[in-house]
Amino acid sequence: MTLIKDPEQNETKHLHKTVDFTGKRVLEIGCGEGRLTWQYASASFSTIGLDPDKDSLRVATIDRPSDMDNKIYFANAQAEHIPFENETFDIAILAWSL
Amino acid sequence: MVHALDEIRRVLAPNGILVDLRPIDDERPIEVFSARETRKTGDATYLPLGLEDDIAANQAMETAESNGWFTRQSKGFFHLHYVWDTASEMEEWIKTEWEDFIELDEETKRATRSAWALGDGDMRVRARVKMLIAKWLRK
Repeated sequence: MTLIKDPEQNETKHLHKTVDFTGKRVLEIGCGEGRLTWQYASASFSTIGLDPDKDSLRVATIDRPSDMDNKIYFANAQAEHIPFENETFDIAILAWSL
Repeated sequence: MVHALDEIRRVLAPNGILVDLRPIDDERPIEVFSARETRKTGDATYLPLGLEDDIAANQAMETAESNGWFTRQSKGFFHLHYVWDTASEMEEWIKTEWEDFIELDEETKRATRSAWALGDGDMRVRARVKMLIAKWLRK
C-alpha cells in the first residue's frame, strides 16, 4: 500500500518554526519508526526517541542514517516511566502521543 | 496522561521546552486530486473514542498548567495530508489504522471511488488532518 504522509512537509516546517534544536538535548516521546526524528535530530546535540512498541523501534534503528549513529538513540519505554535522570533534556516532543 | 506530563517535567531542565504535537478533531475532508483538479468527495467522521482522546489530552495539559508545571508560550494549527494512490488504498488504510478513531460513510466511499476512477490518469486520494502544535515552558 502506498501512503505518503505530509508530502508538503508542513509538520517539519512548523516544528522548526516553534523550536530551535541547535545543540539541544532532545527527548521525543512516541517516536515510532523515526519518521519525525530524522527531520530535526541532525541539528540537536543528542536525541533520544522513546516508544513502547519494540517493532517500531527496531525499524527506527535500522533506518537511522549512518551519520547519526552517535547522535540518535532509542529506548523502549512509556512516557509514564522515562528511564532518565532529572533535568536531562532541553526539549521534549510529544509526537502524536498525548 | 497527567502522570506522563509530570514525568516529562522531571526529565526536562528548568526552562526546558515541551512541544505538544498532535492531530485534533476537526473536519477531515477527503479529496481526489491531480495536477489539474481537486474534488472534495466527502468527510471522514469522528468516532467517540477519537473525540474522547482529544478531550482527555486537552484536560491533561490544563491540569499540568494549573499544577504550575508548564506555562504555554504559543499555540498554533496547521494542516497536513495523507496521500494514497487509489481510493481502495485509502479505505483499507482508514479501516486498519484509524478504525477506532474515524470512519468513512458509504456515500463518501462511493463518491471517492467514482471520482478517482473517472478522473485523470494521475488522480490520487488524500485526507486532510488538522494539527495542533503548542509550545510549553517548564517552570
